[in-house]
Amino acid sequence: MKSFTRAIALAVGLIVFVGTPALAQERSATRQGFELAPNSGKKILVFRPSISVGAQSTAGMFEPNGEWTEQAKANLQAALAKAQTSLGNAVIVAPEAYGDDAQKLQEHMQLFAAVSDAVIQYQFFVGNRLPTKKRDNKNAVFDWSLGKGVANLPGAKDADYGLFLFTKDAYGSTGRKMLQVFAAFGGISVRSGVHQGYAGLVDLRTGDLLWLNADQEMGGDVRETDGSEKRIHQLLEDFPGSTAPQPQAQPKP
Amino acid sequence: MRTLVVGMGLLLASPAAAQQSALLPPYQGAYQPHGVDEIGLWREYDEDERTLGASSLVVRDEPLSTYLRRVLCDTVGEDRCASVRIYIVRAPIFNASMAPNGTMRVFTGLFLRVRNEAELATILAHEFGHFERRHGLDKFRARRSASDAAAWMALLTSLGPTYQTMQSYQNFQLAVYGGLFRYGRDQEREADRLGIAYLNQSHLQPRSASAVWQHVMEEAEASARAKGLKKPNFRTIAFADSHPPDAERAAYLADLAAPDGPDREDGTERYRTALAPFLPQFLDDQIKLNDFGASDYLIQNLATAGWTATLWLKRGDLYRTRGNPRDLSAAADFYASAVKLDPTLAEAHRGLGLALMKTGRPSEAAASLQTYLSLRPDAVDAGMIKMLIPGDTTK
Repeated sequence: MKSFTRAIALAVGLIVFVGTPALAQERSATRQGFELAPNSGKKILVFRPSISVGAQSTAGMFEPNGEWTEQAKANLQAALAKAQTSLGNAVIVAPEAYGDDAQKLQEHMQLFAAVSDAVIQYQFFVGNRLPTKKRDNKNAVFDWSLGKGVANLPGAKDADYGLFLFTKDAYGSTGRKMLQVFAAFGGISVRSGVHQGYAGLVDLRTGDLLWLNADQEMGGDVRETDGSEKRIHQLLEDFPGSTAPQPQAQPKP
Repeated sequence: MRTLVVGMGLLLASPAAAQQSALLPPYQGAYQPHGVDEIGLWREYDEDERTLGASSLVVRDEPLSTYLRRVLCDTVGEDRCASVRIYIVRAPIFNASMAPNGTMRVFTGLFLRVRNEAELATILAHEFGHFERRHGLDKFRARRSASDAAAWMALLTSLGPTYQTMQSYQNFQLAVYGGLFRYGRDQEREADRLGIAYLNQSHLQPRSASAVWQHVMEEAEASARAKGLKKPNFRTIAFADSHPPDAERAAYLADLAAPDGPDREDGTERYRTALAPFLPQFLDDQIKLNDFGASDYLIQNLATAGWTATLWLKRGDLYRTRGNPRDLSAAADFYASAVKLDPTLAEAHRGLGLALMKTGRPSEAAASLQTYLSLRPDAVDAGMIKMLIPGDTTK
C-alpha cells in the first residue's frame, strides 16, 4: 500500500518527459549447440504464463483490466498450441501444483524471472551490458542455467522442455492518447501503450536456458484471436526449429 | 485552485477524524468486485495471492493460523471474516496489510509487539476496516486522478517553460502529492475508527487499541535512546507519512473505546499460549535487526509476566551480538539464569560458554561448551565448538 504513492511520484515525473527510447528493442539467443529439428515430436511443458493486460492512464499508470486479461490468456493459450503443433511439437499445460510442489514451482518461476531479467539487462540490450557478456555475444555464447532442480518440478517427468511466457500490455487510454496528441503539438514525444513480452525455453533435464526471446515493443492485440496469433508468432520468433515459419506448410490430417 | 482545496482539507481533516462516532456499517454480504477498475485490481491481487500462497516466507502453522482466524472472526463477526484469507509472513517488522481482494498479511514482528489478544484484534480489525471500506480501490483511483492532473500540468509547463511556470508546476505537484498522502492518512484514520468499532462490540477489551500505540512509542523511544538519538516526535506529520502520528492514534482510539470496556477480558493467557512455540524464532529474527534498544525493550516487556529460560537466552544472544566487553559479561549472567531455569536448554550452554570464553574464564567456558555438545552431539557447529575446547582432540 505504502509503496504505491511513492511509485507514482516517480512515474509522473518520468513517463511524461522521457520520450521514446530510440530503438525497437527485440532480441533473442539460443544456447550454443542446441538444435530442435522440426517435427522431432518433443514435448513442451508450458508453465503458468504471466499475462496481464490493462490500460495506461493519462499519466502512465497501469490500470489492470480483468476481462482483457482473461481473453488474452485464452487467446494466447490457443495460439501457442496452434503454433507448436505446426512445428511438430506437443504442448502440455503444466498441472496445477499443491503443497511443497507449489513452493518449488514458485521458486523456479521466480528464478526464471530473475535469470531472464539478468539476460535482458546484462547481455541483450545496450546500456548496461557486462563486459563478460559482451564477449559472450561476440563468441555466440549463451550460457545460463536454472540448475538441475527443474527436473523435479510437477509435470517435468513427462516433457522434454519447459516454456515460460511473460507478457504485459497496457493499452493507451483515451486520456493518454489526448496527452500524446497535445504533446506532439509542442514537439514533445509521449509514448502511449506498453507492450512487453519475453519467452524462454528450458531443458527440463539439465535446467539450462536453451533459448530466450525478449521484445520491449510487441505487436498484436492480445485481446483478439488474430492479434494473439501474431503475438505468439513474435514471441516465438527464432524459436529453435522454426527458422522458416511457414504457417501454410502443415498438411496435418 | 487545487492548492486552496488541498490546504482547506488539511485544516479540516484532523479534528473531524477524531470526533466521528465509532459506528459499525451494516454488513453487506459477501462482497464481489464491481466495475472495470475493481475487477482488474482483484485479478492482479488474486495472482499476487497465488504467489504469496506458495512463498517460502509464509509461516505455515495450523494452530497459529487457526488462532489468528479465530481472533479475527471473534472481533469482526463470523459473516464478515469469511471473506478474508490470512497469511503469516516471516518478517520482523511491526505491520500487517490488507489487499483489496481480502488477502491479509500479518508480519511476524507484530506478534512480539502486541501483548494480548485484544491488541492483536485491534490490528486485525483495522486491516479488515480497509477491506470493508474498499480503501484499495479508492486509493488506486485517487492516485490515478492525481497523477493525471500532474501529467497535464507537466505537459502545459513544458510547452511554456519559463521560471514562473516551472515554479507553479512544482507547487502544484507538491500540493497534489501532499493531498494524496493526506488521503492515505485519512483512510488509516477511517480504518482505525472502524477497527475500534469492531472491538467495542466484541468480547475483548477495547482500550487495548490505544495501548498498542503507546507501546509503539515507548519502543521507538527505547530504540532512539540506545542509539543516542533525540527523542522522536510523535505528534508531527511529515509530508510523506503514510499513517497518522502515533500519539494522535493513541489519543483518538482511547476516546472512542467503549466505556464498559475495562470489565472485559483481554485474552492475555490465550495469546501467550499461541505465541509460545514461535517466541524463540521471532526473537531471533528481531535480534538480527541490530536494533539493540528496541529488542531489549521487547524482551523486557515479554518478561513482565515472569522471566523464562527462552527470554533469558534471547537476552543473552542480544547482548552477545552487540559484543562490547561489558555486554559479554552481562550476557554470561543472562545465559546462566537461563541454564538455572532450564538445564537442558542447549543453546544457553553454548552462549554461556562462548560469552565466558571471551571474558577470560576459559575453564568454565569449556565446561559449558562440553555440556552443549553432550546435549546436542550432532549440532551443525559441533566441530567448530570442539576446536574451542582446550585439550579436546576427539573428532
